[in-house]
Amino acid sequence: MSMINNALSGTMAAQAALNLTSQNVANVMTPGYTRQGILLTSASSSRTGALAAGDGVNTPSLFRFSDDYKSQQMWNAASNQGQYSVVQPYQTQLEQVMGDDGSTLNTGLDAFFSALNAASVEPSSSPLRQQVISAADALAQRFNSLNQVLSAQRASVQQQRGTLVDQVNSLSAEIAKLNDRISGASATGTSTSSLVDERDNKIDSLAALVGVSVVNQPDGSRSVSLRNGEPLVAGSLAAQMSVQTSASGVQSLAVKFASQTFNVANTHAGGQLGGLGDFETRVLTPLTQSISDMASQISSQVNAQLAAGFTQAGTAGSALFVYNASSVSGMLQITPGVQPKDLGFSSSATLPGDSGNLLKVIDLKNQAISVTSLGSVLMGDAYTQLVSRLGTESQQNQASLTVANTVRTYAQSNWQSTSGVNKDEEAINLVQYQQMYQANMKVISVANQLFDSTLALLP
Amino acid sequence: MRIASTQYQATMVNALQNANARLSNVMEQMASGQRILLPSDDPVATLRLSRLNREEAALNQYRDNIGALSTRLTQNETALGGMVQDMLGARDLLLWAGNGGNTPADLSAMAGSLSALRDSLLYSSNQRDQEGHYLFSGTATDTATVSYNGTAPVGTRYTFTGNTGSQQVVVGEGVTQSANSTLSGMAQLLNWLDSAVATLQTPGVDVSNPATRLQLTTALNGLDSTLSDVNGQIAALGGARNILDTLDTNHSHVSVSNQQAMLALSQLDYGEAATRLSGFTTAVQATQKAYAKVSSLSLFDIL
Repeated sequence: MSMINNALSGTMAAQAALNLTSQNVANVMTPGYTRQGILLTSASSSRTGALAAGDGVNTPSLFRFSDDYKSQQMWNAASNQGQYSVVQPYQTQLEQVMGDDGSTLNTGLDAFFSALNAASVEPSSSPLRQQVISAADALAQRFNSLNQVLSAQRASVQQQRGTLVDQVNSLSAEIAKLNDRISGASATGTSTSSLVDERDNKIDSLAALVGVSVVNQPDGSRSVSLRNGEPLVAGSLAAQMSVQTSASGVQSLAVKFASQTFNVANTHAGGQLGGLGDFETRVLTPLTQSISDMASQISSQVNAQLAAGFTQAGTAGSALFVYNASSVSGMLQITPGVQPKDLGFSSSATLPGDSGNLLKVIDLKNQAISVTSLGSVLMGDAYTQLVSRLGTESQQNQASLTVANTVRTYAQSNWQSTSGVNKDEEAINLVQYQQMYQANMKVISVANQLFDSTLALLP
Repeated sequence: MRIASTQYQATMVNALQNANARLSNVMEQMASGQRILLPSDDPVATLRLSRLNREEAALNQYRDNIGALSTRLTQNETALGGMVQDMLGARDLLLWAGNGGNTPADLSAMAGSLSALRDSLLYSSNQRDQEGHYLFSGTATDTATVSYNGTAPVGTRYTFTGNTGSQQVVVGEGVTQSANSTLSGMAQLLNWLDSAVATLQTPGVDVSNPATRLQLTTALNGLDSTLSDVNGQIAALGGARNILDTLDTNHSHVSVSNQQAMLALSQLDYGEAATRLSGFTTAVQATQKAYAKVSSLSLFDIL
């Protein structure tokens, strides 16, 4: 009766295959779903003899259409995409604030030097002197509002870092839990495909947050570590990442695994965390320092030159600006109570109508100041160069982001090409396995007829 | 390459997103007329634009200064012109007085007119602006140009208390122009006139007396030299205004060329933008049609 048994194994195999096809079709839109296939092998005959064809078909297992190399590629691409995309909104905001011609420091500086130039027409005129003080005040306000924008960005970067670290921790914990379930299930021979998909989805999300390297373990679990080797997940254990803030307000990252604590570099970490770190150290902090350098040097140079001159009353000129590095909203201010007559425009104590020192103050615009990240630049050109540098940084980031997006899209379609469901393919499988099922049923029916014919021979 | 069913969707979503980003960019450019919306669109052009803007701001200020300075120079010119009239009047009187045919009574009357002119010259020399600063005191603008001391002996009552310093106004990058005229010789002239008035008022004065003639001649010579000095200053003021006019014209030429450069750098070429817009639109429409065709293909439909 091997024929009936063979046909039976065929119908069973066809049923399993149809069942599998239905699972694949059901998940055609599921993100991260890895399509499965069925392994069919012919069963060798248990009988001896030249005419023993075989014992039908075996369905030892289902298998996943997956390629670890393509998954790794996709995760790498996610890290790069995260790294560049998280920075762009910050950079665009800075460009909008600093590049807008009406609100820039340049406009403020122009107005200040215009007021000084206008005062040279009548150096002893008090309305013209008052105009210098008003323009100085407006310039100081521009410095302060830009400084506030930069400080708000820094606060926002640090807040975002905190949120990202929380997400990294919860994803690591979930991956560790899934590792545990997968190694348990594969020990008992249960299908782990959906668990593996879920874990890979989590790893993909994690990779967007921080650059990771993933290593497969023999028990089916995956170990996840940061780019420099600090462990995040090993088997069923997950590390705890935390943000440390130094006394000066600089943040760094630490990873605690079991009883060990590793310090993690904030920059070059990859993913969104690395992007934030790079942006903070490469763009935001130097820019903040440059703006504060500009404020400090404009303040000290203008004050020094004014002090070298004489007021209307013949005393040494008083300071026009007050620079306070520790204040965000009041970094640069004008000296409280400064009067038009207190400006030291004259080069002699006895010549109130002289404009010799005023001309020197005006010439400060063409004098060099030293600014972090720019070096020695002309006072009137420093801000222009900062904006141009910011534009170049942003342009580079946009170019890198475009590349990262393209690579990610390619990696995703590459992954889909192996693991994604194709409806037409499944439709063909459906038809073929249905026919296989029907054919095997026919075999059973033929075997039955053969049996009946044999029985009919008996009286 | 094997294509998963969701691939069409992903491609479509990507294509639409890219097209939308480009469309929104070109529309923003068209709405503003600006080629550069953010510094990163063209950092080098942004740098050049910013520098041109700085130069424009400085040029505008220089031209404002030239305008204000011209007004000041005109004011000086008018005041000096008034003084020239007074001095010419005094000169006529002195010449007349030197003529031998005048009686002491005539001379005394002339002295009256002469002293009025002397006072007028003193007043004009000490002219002040609206804020009380002396116009002709050089850089000592808080001090009167000519001080009068009535208790001193005749001939020394007037002293020059201003200075000959010049107030420099910035009218170009590194270019300054003096804004004031100074009257250093006026005090001496006033002293001579004062002496002449005192002499002419002396009862029974005789102009044929050599000492008296000498006084009148001294006053007359002083008058001539001060007159030529003031006339020289008026001529200098005219020259300064010519220079300012030339500078202003130069500034305006540079400004025009700056503005043209700025337009060339920043303005959107609408023709080119319209071509891009229609290119993007066509691409979106084509992608949509392709997606509609491809997504309608399914083996399940015919099973």
